[in-house]
Amino acid sequence: MQVGFYFDQTRCIGCSACAVACKDWHDIPAGPEKWMKVLYNEEGKFPHIFVSYRINPCFHCIDPVCIPVCPVGAIAKREEDGIVTVDSNKCIGNEECDSKCLKACPYDAPQFGTEIGAKMRKCNYCLDRHLEGKLPTCIESCRTRALDAGSIEELKQKYGSIKETNNFIYSERTKPSVVFKPKEK
Amino acid sequence: METQENDTIDDGEKIIRTTTAFDCGGRCPLRVHVKDGKVIRIEGDDFEDKDEQLRACLRCRALRQYIYHPDRLKFPLKRDGPKGSGKYKRISWDEALSEIAAKLKEVKEKYGNSSIFLATGGGYQAALHDGMFAMIRLLTQFGGFSTHFGNISSEGAVYATQTQYTSPFVGHSRTDLKNSKLIIMWGWDPARMISGSDTIYNLIKAKEKGIKIICIDPRYTDSAVVLADQWIPIIPGTDTAMMVAMAYVMIKENLHDQEFLDKYTIGFEKFVDYVMGEEDGIPKTPEWAEQITSVPAEIISNLAREYATTKPAAFMDCQGPARSAVGELYNRCAMTLTAMTGNVGKHGGSAAGGLMGIPYGHMFFASRIPPPYRNPVETGLKSVRGSLDLQLRFQARCHTNKMFDAILKGKGGGYPFDVKFAWFVNNNFLNQLGNTNKAAEALKKLDYMVCAELWLTPTARYADIVLPVTSAAEKNDFTRPWPSGPYFTAMNQAIEPIGECKSDLRIAEELADKLGLEEFVKYPDEKKALRFLIKLREDTRKNIRNINEFREKGIHRIEIEEPYVAFKEQIDDIENKPFKTPSGKIEIFSQRIADLNDPENPPIPKYMERWEGRYDPLSEKYPLQLLSPHPKNRVHSELYLVEWLREVDPHVAWINPVDAESRGIRDGDEILVYNDRGKLTIKAWLTERIIPGAISIFEGAWYDPDENGIDRGGCVNTLTKDAYSPGGASALKSCLVEIKKYNRGA
Repeated sequence: MQVGFYFDQTRCIGCSACAVACKDWHDIPAGPEKWMKVLYNEEGKFPHIFVSYRINPCFHCIDPVCIPVCPVGAIAKREEDGIVTVDSNKCIGNEECDSKCLKACPYDAPQFGTEIGAKMRKCNYCLDRHLEGKLPTCIESCRTRALDAGSIEELKQKYGSIKETNNFIYSERTKPSVVFKPKEK
Repeated sequence: METQENDTIDDGEKIIRTTTAFDCGGRCPLRVHVKDGKVIRIEGDDFEDKDEQLRACLRCRALRQYIYHPDRLKFPLKRDGPKGSGKYKRISWDEALSEIAAKLKEVKEKYGNSSIFLATGGGYQAALHDGMFAMIRLLTQFGGFSTHFGNISSEGAVYATQTQYTSPFVGHSRTDLKNSKLIIMWGWDPARMISGSDTIYNLIKAKEKGIKIICIDPRYTDSAVVLADQWIPIIPGTDTAMMVAMAYVMIKENLHDQEFLDKYTIGFEKFVDYVMGEEDGIPKTPEWAEQITSVPAEIISNLAREYATTKPAAFMDCQGPARSAVGELYNRCAMTLTAMTGNVGKHGGSAAGGLMGIPYGHMFFASRIPPPYRNPVETGLKSVRGSLDLQLRFQARCHTNKMFDAILKGKGGGYPFDVKFAWFVNNNFLNQLGNTNKAAEALKKLDYMVCAELWLTPTARYADIVLPVTSAAEKNDFTRPWPSGPYFTAMNQAIEPIGECKSDLRIAEELADKLGLEEFVKYPDEKKALRFLIKLREDTRKNIRNINEFREKGIHRIEIEEPYVAFKEQIDDIENKPFKTPSGKIEIFSQRIADLNDPENPPIPKYMERWEGRYDPLSEKYPLQLLSPHPKNRVHSELYLVEWLREVDPHVAWINPVDAESRGIRDGDEILVYNDRGKLTIKAWLTERIIPGAISIFEGAWYDPDENGIDRGGCVNTLTKDAYSPGGASALKSCLVEIKKYNRGA
């Protein structure tokens, strides 16, 4: 089984409740460490403009490029559900390895705090909740129900298999576990 | 500690069901995880049908940082430096309340009760511990007090709905939106401003059902991003010109519902005279409106035709554009269009009026412990009942947006009192009313001021004594949402009070002792008090049958058989159930207003040019119109210091590149925004989402003047005016400014 996300871009108002709920659940201080981000895209000229938002958690790729680049093997992919996890105790910190995982990831999922030698942490699909049979907190915090999560196969059956959307390119190299309902221009 | 424990997870981790009482329309159910007496996490509603959950927004998702913020006040403070300096020393409750009581007695004896001023706002809206109600009761029993009139948010809409319907319940259940065939959102951004937890989601569902949505707004709002099939940008303050021109098209092409107008309204013929130019020689054609609004005539004509011929259609005005010098005329024009199209009282239609309220669990029925008698300072005045004469409101009060002018000038300035003592509770008015620099000047000159607060806000910094207040998580109470609901939410105490914080009710009770007010009734047992309050009001008494169950579930959802529709009763049976207006009909023409003989307050809705709009001669000096919409990451100025919220939406000014480039301003530059009232600095955000000629700064950032008087905090009211419309709307959105690139040290 491989878990993944569904994102309905037509419903996202960019409120960032998902990002705040994530920080609260995982107790992450304000600052650059963001396991969930809401990205902004604006195109066109007044009054003919196009605006879209896009979530950016870790997409728990089928072929996570962060794993082979880690010099100490701190990152792993769980066999039973495909969640990509990091053992922060093993991680030697962003100074010493020069943030190789972050540089390799096409989606900037690996995150670091502000302290010197910060250890990598990132979205773990709310593993604690997942093990209790609950959805990640970002999903349940979305006021417009723009988010869903679960088995990627089931998500594809439910929502279709569209792999790209505005401001998101599917990486054939890493194969992110996400499907979209894109916002039409 | 009395708590309602709903669930125990493990290791003593408990989930407490509660909500918050910010000045927000949500009151969403929260599940607060508590371990070892500390909040460790927050979750939202867990109603079984996920689609029906009332999901909290980012603000309450960040509540933990709010509760435990290091800057929360924990002890009573006494001023220990110049007013505004923020220098304070810790004192005991006994010392603080003794000093306040002595001061109150002194002022009462020397100057009389009218010199005691109570400034109250919407900062805590729950039944039992609301400081506004506690202080009204206390000061009434102390012999009376002066206060202010006028709701900062919605007074324009209130005046307009009183004029034409004489009822504030002009809304439909949000689920009724799906019964529309066309939704027109005029100046309304429910993605950011929470008027009903699920309003934005209901709109999304309506859109996905195939209902066309048109957004008219100077900004391409986040609501427009997900909802708008068409965005019509309009010059701020000119909405009424476009609405009047839509009426012109309908009349000219005979698209209006004459039968409806004949049966349910009065005065339409006078409106026709104005619209067609009989009254003033100016036909209000789409071409006329294009010159004023910048909206192409063809777009106006097409919208008029589409709205008049697509039925039912929901015309959703709101309160924002009425927070201007145009004020109530915006809502009156909107309401007139809903009558012309026969959309009032119909499923899927709308009566407009901006207030959007339904009469179930509405904030206007607020549960509270009533004072035993009227405020003695306000007895013997002429009755305001049924009158639209705003001046009657000022027999003993000042307008809310004139509060600081009144404190500054007193009777010499024509106000009914000289303030010698002021109590500020549930508000940050220095920051949130017009003309913050003037407010600071007034508070510097004020003899004595007490502020009950959770934070050392820009307002609190001028107080002689600051009293620390508990947050919602630290008390038992219950709430109702603003206007929509329909539900009540319970607040169960999650944690012990932080530091020495007390609720406003407890502060009033202890101060009553110091004042020797033996007859002041106390409510030491919260559970008993909540039972008393629930039984006191008919709507809670009838709906909440089992109080324990209500508190355990944290919410009581009111079941109504079909979506509520404003004025359906009247439209279905006008003979037996007339409107509450003097004529019993919708008053497009108001004799009550005509009798006032105020040329600025016309008896029929009109487009009128007002001060500090696009066409004010002042625009030569200050050519940009300043908008100050609701922020998404705080409730007005509440939650301002919460870092989780600050980082998701940094404080910036929206500027169209056309306006920026002509001034040499690039994206991210620090700019100076200024007019004759003040100066502030803020980062420029260049975006095509705002009409050229206007800039937008979200309200609520905290005023932080430097040694040169430049507000470094970017508080938008440093620039706005302390004025109101003829109907009493706080005119914060009629504001002209200029901007330039700011060079530090230059």
